[in-house]
Formats: sequence, structure tokens, C-alpha cells
Amino acid sequence: MAQPPVSSESQEQRVREFVDAYQSLRAEVGKIIVGHTDVVGQIMIGLFAGGHVLLEGVPGLGKTLLVKTLAESLELSFSRIQFTPDLMPGDIIGTNIIVEDAQGRKHFQFQRGPIFGHILLADEVNRATPKTQSALLEGMQEGAVTVSGAAHPLPAPFFVLATQNPIEMEGTYPLPEAQLDRFLFKVRVRYPALEELTEIIDRTTHVRAVEVRRVLTGPQVLSMRELVREIPIASHVRDLASFIVLGTHPQWERAPEVSRRYVRYGASPRGAQALVLGAKVRALAEGRFNVSVDDLRAMALPSLRHRLILNFEGEAAGVDVDDLVSQIVESAEAMSGSGKEVFLR
Amino acid sequence: MSDPTVIQRLVADVARQIRLRRAEFYGLRGLFWGAVAAVVPLLLKETLGPWSYALAGLLLLAGAAAGAAWGLLLSLPPAEAARLADRGYGLQERISTALEWADRRDRTPIVDALVTDAAARAGQVGVRRIIPRRLPREAKLVPVPLVLGLVLAAAPPIPLPQGRLPSFSVSRDEDEEKTPGDRSGDVQQSERKQATRRDPVQRTDVQERTLSPRLGGGGQSQPGDLAAVFKDTSLGGRAPDFNSFLKKGDERLRMLDSLDRLPDLQSDFTQNQTRMVFQKAKALRGGLDPNKKVSPEKLRELLSEMERLGRKNGGQGQGNWSGDAYEGMEALEGGQSDKAMEAMERALNKMRSMEERGRDGKGLKGGRESERRGARRGDKGAGQQGGGPGDEGDFPEGEGLLPGRGKSGAPKGDPTARLRGSPFDVGVEGESRPGRKQGIDTNMVGRGAQMPSRMQYMGVLGQYRKMMEESIAREQVPRDFQSQVKEYFQSLDEK
Repeated sequence: MAQPPVSSESQEQRVREFVDAYQSLRAEVGKIIVGHTDVVGQIMIGLFAGGHVLLEGVPGLGKTLLVKTLAESLELSFSRIQFTPDLMPGDIIGTNIIVEDAQGRKHFQFQRGPIFGHILLADEVNRATPKTQSALLEGMQEGAVTVSGAAHPLPAPFFVLATQNPIEMEGTYPLPEAQLDRFLFKVRVRYPALEELTEIIDRTTHVRAVEVRRVLTGPQVLSMRELVREIPIASHVRDLASFIVLGTHPQWERAPEVSRRYVRYGASPRGAQALVLGAKVRALAEGRFNVSVDDLRAMALPSLRHRLILNFEGEAAGVDVDDLVSQIVESAEAMSGSGKEVFLR
Repeated sequence: MSDPTVIQRLVADVARQIRLRRAEFYGLRGLFWGAVAAVVPLLLKETLGPWSYALAGLLLLAGAAAGAAWGLLLSLPPAEAARLADRGYGLQERISTALEWADRRDRTPIVDALVTDAAARAGQVGVRRIIPRRLPREAKLVPVPLVLGLVLAAAPPIPLPQGRLPSFSVSRDEDEEKTPGDRSGDVQQSERKQATRRDPVQRTDVQERTLSPRLGGGGQSQPGDLAAVFKDTSLGGRAPDFNSFLKKGDERLRMLDSLDRLPDLQSDFTQNQTRMVFQKAKALRGGLDPNKKVSPEKLRELLSEMERLGRKNGGQGQGNWSGDAYEGMEALEGGQSDKAMEAMERALNKMRSMEERGRDGKGLKGGRESERRGARRGDKGAGQQGGGPGDEGDFPEGEGLLPGRGKSGAPKGDPTARLRGSPFDVGVEGESRPGRKQGIDTNMVGRGAQMPSRMQYMGVLGQYRKMMEESIAREQVPRDFQSQVKEYFQSLDEK
């Protein structure tokens, strides 16, 4: 990739382009998807941060449609895997098959699975067995899969969007913590509001042809991902991110009371990475050149909610992880010295 | 790269605001303490004269000035001022990030854009007070010492108490000046003084008197000699007065008199009661001179104990010795000591055979022997269900009824067969009720029925309580549930 220009104006230009691309992509998705502003925003932040996103919501909220629309808005290949209990790892990754060439000689040839796509929709990922779920692990983390000792790199950008249903738990295999941690964000898809529902009815029950344009290419997405990592973050904002992540650990000596009481295991360093990367994308999307405390606050929930494991007391008391994370963020802000009494020190 | 002086100017302005607020804050605090201190010279107005006003005013001003100076001189890193500027002007960390990254070597190209953006934003914001005023807690109390000081300043000087402090040293002149009426008190005082003075002399005498006989008798005390601690007391030299000891009828003498009494077997749970009786009887017979007659009192006591034990074991038929013991007691009442001794011998033989039978179960012979005993017990009928005296050791507390531990005397195997074999019901709590019983057989048939099941229950309960506490500590059980579980176990305790 070419060296980015270094003048202030050119940097501003890059940021403006980022904002434009972001807005146009959002507008394309908005042609099909009604509402879900936060969900769409968080998915796009996940895309530009270079992570993968787990969507959780009851059936019929448009999770799959949202992912398909996003894929259609990008000039990228799209694969969809419907996870079922009898799905095998080879069905995802691919397998070696015997082929015969023109001379009649037989040899093994790797037949690529659906994972070899830019955007992968893993629909109802918790319906497959852990063995099959873990077939995604290497691809999500390393960007490559290994079959019969040979590594096969996945196309870049590689973006996994998995969905799962939180209520139909019978016959499902909840994702193990190791795999949950691979997802940059976990996004909760809520039920639409009254106005949104009305709009959904109008859009979907009339004859109405909506065409989605492809607004971004793969290289553009990669370039935007690079720009994200250039965004500076002030030390006190970075410290706040550390305080938030450490605050999820009940063993930490300065952990807040809620964490000590209800959390068994806290977020991993991946949680801190997700938090800061997400905050950087959000800052860029708003046309800023730096990360703010507001960015961290906004990204704390999708970054950390799937990385906290409640203890028995938390489960029994029906503690909402989102509330827990919000309280941890508040206590971290008080801890990090961003209090109002700073001028008295 | 744009000029970051705009940012620095904004930060400097915020820093100035912070310093001013700090000066206000600490100045008010200093004013309060200065006012408190200023009250003191006003209280001493009579002594200090007009200087008291000047001193009070000086303290007031000095307190406020010292506080304000402290607030102004407190260190203020630019980063903190920049953070407050960001917050105060709503700049979303632009200023602090730009200030921090502007001079960093590892800055990315986008930092230039950030500095430009931050400078532009800093230029746009109008300079205004963004640091809110904060008052210390003492600020509300400042009027109190101020008003007090004004009142004191306006009021006439407060006279200080006159006179000397009382002298505690008594001189001869003062003694002579006192009136004759006071003399009596002085005499008592002087006597008290003399007594105090005499006391060390008397104590020396006592020490000399008590030390001499000991030194004469036992020689010099050695290090570690515990008797040395008594040497400086008058009791150490006195001989014990046994007469008064006897006259008073000390309880210990009565205990000495009844040394050969049987031990309190009811309270001695560490010993097998039968064995104790056996040993006592053996000692009574073996240790006596053949020409000397057995004490009827001791024989009666022993026989009554044997009879009691026989009744307690509830045996009827061949294995029971209570009848023999009762016969012995009757013979003793009739003055026939020989017959009483014979009866005791018979009772002891039965007791011995019962003891040996009971010991079978404690060997390593295992279940076959137990089965044989079970069959034998079955032959004896309902009245013979109790085990021998040695069976008490088969159920150590707390483990008798646990699965896989101890040896339960309860019949095992097919429950239907058991029911046919012994269709008698027994109560779970306490001893079995008398008479023939209808109903279902339980595992308490046998020795368990003879023993108070409550003991076993309590022992097992202790074990389960311990396991419960371990589980609660190990598992992460919610506090509310912990208390519920503990209350449940507590309720079992109370039953």
C-alpha cells in the first residue's frame, strides 16, 4: 500500500473521506434496515476496527437481513453458513478431494469451504457443536485455516458476523469463553420502537424495489482500518480504558463492589483492545482526530458484555451484564482521577 | 503543523483560573483558622493591652494570606489544566491529546491534523470561567470566630483569676502558725507518716524471720526453686494446722474416706461399665485376706451396681446376671455373706461370657461371625435383640450409620425376607415401646433399637453440617442462600 501523505491537510482529507465512506455505507444499510441505529453503528465500527461481531437477538428482528444488506453494500464476497447440530468443521473450512487431471492422474485438491469469503454470516452459531464452532477460531484470529498441514490464508478483509438466539437454548451449544473472546463486540438487537415498527410494515408489505449500491471496496476498508490505528489517544483516556477493564476483575484490589460481588471472571486484554479500537473508529466516524472519554463510554458495553462471566450469585440474582458494565465504567471514571475535584490537588 | 500557542494560551488561562479557585478555597480555610487563633489575644486583652487588637488582626490576615498563598503555589501540571479545559469547554479531549502528542517522537501524521483542529477549536471558544467555585467546609463556620472576636474586642477586658496556686510543700513555720484546733488532724497525719516510715522496718523483720528456718533446713535456694517464692511471706514459716482442718469438716476428708467407692459409672463414658464392675469385683475378692471378712457395705454396693447394669442391658434368660445379683443382695440382707459371694461369682461369670460374646464382633472375622450372632440373636426373640455389653464400641459417635463405615448390627439383605423374619416394629426415637407391634420393620431392629437413635443422628448431623460449611466456602453460594442453608441446619439442631 502506498505511503500515506503527511501534510495536515492531507490527513484531514483522509479523515473526511473516512467520514464520508462511513456515512454513505450507513445510508445504504439504512435503505433496508429500519431503526437499529446503534446496532448498525456498532457493526460498522467492528468492521473498520478489524474485528468480528456477534449479534444476539430474538428471531425476526432482522439480524440476518442486516448482515446481508451490509455485505451487499460492500464490494466484497459474502458467504452464509446456517449452523446446525450436524454441521462438521469440514463443511466450514473445506476439504481435500481427489481430482483427476487431463492425463488421468489423480491427486488431492483442496476444495475451499464457505469460510473463504470476505464477509461470513454464521447464522445461529450456537446451534452447531463446539467442535464445529471452534473451526471458526483459527480463521477469526489468524486470518488463515490449516487443512492437512497446509495453511490457507483467508481473503482480506475477513469479517465474521455471527448471530445467536438468546431464548431458544434447548438443543444449542453456548459458545465457549475462548470463542466469545474472539468476537470484538457483542451487539444486542432490541425490539424496534413503535415508529420503527410502523416503518418496517410500510416498507415490507408494499411493492417497493430498493436497490443497494456498493459503496466501498475491500482495499478501501483496509485503508480505513489502517487510519483507525493512527488515531492518538491521550494517556488519561488510555488509563481510563485500563481502569474499566481491570474493574471487571473481582480479584483486582481496586475493583468496584459490584464486580467483587457478581463477577467470576473479568475481561481479557482483548477487551481493552476492543474498547480502544472501537473508540478510535467512533472518534473517526465523528470526524475527530483523537479518542475521547465519551467514545470509551459508548464502546464499553459491546466490548465487554460478552467478556464478563457472572458468578453464581450474579446468575441467581439475575444481574444484567449491561448494568454491571455501566456501573464499572462509572467507578472507573471516579478512580482514574477524572473527578471534578482535580483542581484541588 | 499549526502553531500550538493558541492551545498553550488556553491551557494557561485555565491554569490561572484553577490557581485563583485554589487560592479562594485555601484562603477561606486559612481565614477560619486565623480567626480562631485571633480569639486568643482578645481573651488576653487585659494582659496584652492595645497590642491584643493588633495581634488579633495580624493572625486573621496571616491565616487568610497563608491559605491563599498555599493555594496559589500548589503544583499544577499542564496536563491537568488541559483536561479541565477539555471538560470545561466541551472539547472532547482535543486539547489534552494535542498537548500530549505534539512533542512525542512516535506521533502519527494525523497528530498534525489533531493539533490544527485543537488550535482552531481553542481559538473559537470564548474565554470564560469554566472552573466552578468551591467552598471548604470551614467557610460556613468563619462567622463564628469572627463574631466572637468582635464581641471580645467590644467587651471590657476579662479579669484573669488572681492569687497563688496552693503550695503542696508544708513548712515548719506554717505548722506553727496553725491553730490548736487543727492540731488533732496533724497528729493523725504525723502518725500516718510514722506508720508509713515504720513499715519497711517491719517488713524486713518478717523477711528475716521467715528466711532463717528455711535456710537452716533446706540450705540455699537454687535457681528455679519454686519454694523460693514463698520465702518472703509469713505463711512460708508456719506449720499447717491439721486440727482446725479436721474440725472444719473439710470436704476433701470425706472424699479421702470414700476412696474405695465405686466410680460414678453414669458419668464415666470413657470406660466400659461392665468391665469396670468386673475389675472392681475382682479387686474386692483378690485383694482381701482370706481370713478377713468382706465389707458388707462394699459388697452391697457392688451387687447393686451389677443388678443395675443387668437391668439396663435388658436381658432375660441365660445371659442375664441381674437376677443373680439380686439374689446376692437378698442373701446379704439376711446376713449370708457366703451366699452373696456365690451369687456374685455367678453373676460375674455370666458377665464375662457376655463380654466375650460381644467381643466377637470386634475381631477381623467379619460378616460371617456377625451373621452367626445375628442368627443367635434371632433365636432369642424380641427381648434378646440387644447386643452384648461390648457392642457399645461398635458405633463410634457420628459414623455408625454412615454408609460404608462402621458395622451396623441391623440385618441386611432382602427387605421382604427381613420383614418375614422379624415382623416387629420399633420406634425410631428412644427405646422400643413395650408389647407386640404391628407395622413395618425398620433398620432399627437390633442394637440400633436399644440405643438412643438421637445420638447417632446428632453425630451424623455434625458431619453433614461440616460438609455443608465446606461446600458453602468452596462453591460460590449467594449470601442469602448461605443464611437459608445455615438456618435449616440450625433448625435441625434445635429439634
